[in-house]
Amino acid sequence: MANLKDIRTRIASVKSTQQVTSAMKMVSAAKLRKAQDAIIQMRPYAEKLNEILTSVSSNLGSDVENKFAERKVRNKVLIIAITSNRGLCGGFNSNVVKRTTELLGTTFSEQSKKNKVDVIAIGKKAVDGLKSKGVKVSESYLDLYDKLNYSTVSEIAQAVMDKYATGEYDQVELVYNQFKNAAVQNLVNEQFLPVNIESKADSKSKKTASKISYLFEPSMQEIVVSIIPQSLRIQFFKAILDSVAAEHGARMTAMHKATDNATELIRELKLNYNKARQASITNEILEIVSGANAMKG
Amino acid sequence: MLHLEIITSEKLLFDGEIKLIKLPGVSGSFEIMTNHAPIISTLMEGKIKVKEITDVVSYFEVKGGLVEVSNNKVKVLVEE
Repeated sequence: MANLKDIRTRIASVKSTQQVTSAMKMVSAAKLRKAQDAIIQMRPYAEKLNEILTSVSSNLGSDVENKFAERKVRNKVLIIAITSNRGLCGGFNSNVVKRTTELLGTTFSEQSKKNKVDVIAIGKKAVDGLKSKGVKVSESYLDLYDKLNYSTVSEIAQAVMDKYATGEYDQVELVYNQFKNAAVQNLVNEQFLPVNIESKADSKSKKTASKISYLFEPSMQEIVVSIIPQSLRIQFFKAILDSVAAEHGARMTAMHKATDNATELIRELKLNYNKARQASITNEILEIVSGANAMKG
Repeated sequence: MLHLEIITSEKLLFDGEIKLIKLPGVSGSFEIMTNHAPIISTLMEGKIKVKEITDVVSYFEVKGGLVEVSNNKVKVLVEE
């Protein structure tokens, strides 16, 4: 059995770890609330935009001419992997890296063999993770989370959309964690480009889309063409916000588990400590008693 | 009387009753007053002028956006 002093230092060290993890859990909980608020703030905008897009495109039919439309060939593909800058959040980051490399090996294996896949990494963990797997990262954005706002995010989205419009890429895929609730994150890969108006005009907004006959200015066609990039930027922004909320959710869960584990460990160590203490006292008494007996004898 | 909401992707900029709103439309600046016909229009870079029910006038700078008017409700989606 380990000696008393060893166990005592062990307990002290586990206790300080437990303090750190429980503090991190609390910080994450506060940040999660903020991240969730940002998603809620964005919702009315996104919903209205979808509603207008739906009512306009249902009048026009689905084959609207636009530069983000589907192409016949898929020559070059871009994958955007969205992770966080910090670790200690369970499988949050490694899942994104894993899915990205999976996509390279399966869906885009043809393009990957011809070196026709570019990867953009958002977040430090994506850069590190992909590099260690031997994936070449063509561009990375690391300081996006320091001051997260719509304009900086939409700049990135715009740059990607411009590259699609000029024909540099034929498909753009997002890999990120979708926020479900504080305990659950869904890893998704979502097609960003080419744009699918049908799927954007989802059934929910179809129902709410009013039957009023609107005047359109300048024309329906032009309105759709100007809404599509706006809606794409919103989609990209939503992916980032989702990922941020999911990150804090994941870290909260991970830190909660760590705190629980530390509590359990401390309980076991204390039990061992007390056993050792009792054993040493028993030993001492035995020695005294046997010593006294020897004196008598 | 008109009800106006100006929404960005990050927050609600304005919510209240107004007398008139002047918008930088793509095909020229235009105003909306009570009982305007339902319209959907896109906006370009410029200033939105809002005259509230209390005659207070306020301005909002926008980079672009979208406006929907129906049933005396104005919803402006703007990009800042």
